[in-house]
Amino acid sequence: MDGPSPVTPSPEDPSLRIAALQAEIEGVKQREAAFRAKMVHEFLDRGERNTLLHVLREERAALIRREQEAFADLEAFTRKLEAERATVLGLQDELGRIRGSWSWRLAAPLRALGRILSHARPTPSPGANPPAAGGVFTYYLHTSPFRIYRDPTFTLRGWAWPNDGRAVTAVRINLDGRLFVGRHGLEEPEVIDRHGPQPANPLPGFEIAFETPPGGHLLSLEAQIENSEWRSIVTTSIWCEPRLP
Amino acid sequence: MSSENAHARWRRSATTLGERSAYKKVWDGQAEDFDVASLAVAGHMDEATMDLTARGFIDTLRATVGLDPNDVILEIGCGIGRIGKPLSRECLHWFGADISGGMLGHAAARLRGLPNTSLVELSTVGLQEFPSDAFDLVYCTIVFMHLFEWDRYRYVEEAFRVLRPGGRCYFDNYPLDSEHGWKVFTEGARYPLDRRPAHISMASTREELGIYLAKAGFQDVRIHDLPNELIAATGQKPG
Repeated sequence: MDGPSPVTPSPEDPSLRIAALQAEIEGVKQREAAFRAKMVHEFLDRGERNTLLHVLREERAALIRREQEAFADLEAFTRKLEAERATVLGLQDELGRIRGSWSWRLAAPLRALGRILSHARPTPSPGANPPAAGGVFTYYLHTSPFRIYRDPTFTLRGWAWPNDGRAVTAVRINLDGRLFVGRHGLEEPEVIDRHGPQPANPLPGFEIAFETPPGGHLLSLEAQIENSEWRSIVTTSIWCEPRLP
Repeated sequence: MSSENAHARWRRSATTLGERSAYKKVWDGQAEDFDVASLAVAGHMDEATMDLTARGFIDTLRATVGLDPNDVILEIGCGIGRIGKPLSRECLHWFGADISGGMLGHAAARLRGLPNTSLVELSTVGLQEFPSDAFDLVYCTIVFMHLFEWDRYRYVEEAFRVLRPGGRCYFDNYPLDSEHGWKVFTEGARYPLDRRPAHISMASTREELGIYLAKAGFQDVRIHDLPNELIAATGQKPG
């Protein structure tokens, strides 16, 4: 045979073993780097949800939504006020016409007599639980009642205590005489931190769900004081207009 | 003058100086269209020149800190992705981070179809969006001249955090002690005080860059004089 015979490397050939080991090291390095790249991606995915930037964007979007709803409600309130003003003007015109009529003038002595007699009559006794006027409360409503009510029910949440230091023992909504009793005695740790301890009302939070039938209503948020009288915390007119389909 | 006036004037002056720190605003302002963005970050607009200069920088990386096909790389201040586009072909994965979402919008268009690239908008100065011990190489080029010194150091510190043990870093700027550096310095000095642009270039010294890397914990810190009249500081995270 001419020349040297081809060398068949044996499995024990160190150069082959070195090459195999280097390939294995390279493979491990590649897998380790791929793992780190994947880790960065997972961290970024998780971070995107948690970064301050994301939180601020979410808050800004929520604030824009709230602002838009508030503007829409204000516009609706403005239209209602205009309509009410037109009604008042119409009624004032009608009253003026009645007072100017002959029959009104002729009946004047009779009305005067009626007023004298009504003062002599005993005052009718109040209903079962009419709210006392003039209750002074420190309160805050997390879900503002000053809105157009679109859904069939609404839950008013907030906290309150009477300024005379007595205990609230129940809360309710009085909607045109219909009563909706709520839950009270809910924790409001931040409020206590801010305003200091309230010995009679350590848990001043409440929530009251009530129905909001279509139309205008008089809403009164009321608190029962030490299991006896009911006092109004806040009273307001509300308008309930179901969402159009 | 009353002390109230002095306070008002002080507040106004602080706002003017602070414009440079409003990096997101400043660089988003320069990213409105691609041509302006390209000029702002690369000094030219055509793709061929951009590719050529990017390849030159990749050669610089190879010569200073080395490149490995398995590298997971992070670029701080990647702008429109000038370097990421060719570099992504030479590494396992390239991440580009920038404080300007506008710049990243252009980068995303340029890097479309390159699956081993990712872009991340930084919320503020720093790399808080990234985990620790993740990258083989972190670099930052043609960025430090637009940053205040405190923010330069902040990125060096953060690079140290996000590099894996044994990982390498690279930061460059133009040096004050070069002809070009001094020219840029004197040009900047000629601006009226109240009309200095927020992104005006500011030089570094070799000592400054070396101190940043050493204070951040890097080992084997070296200062390189580059052919394009920049200086680069490189180092390695102890592994």
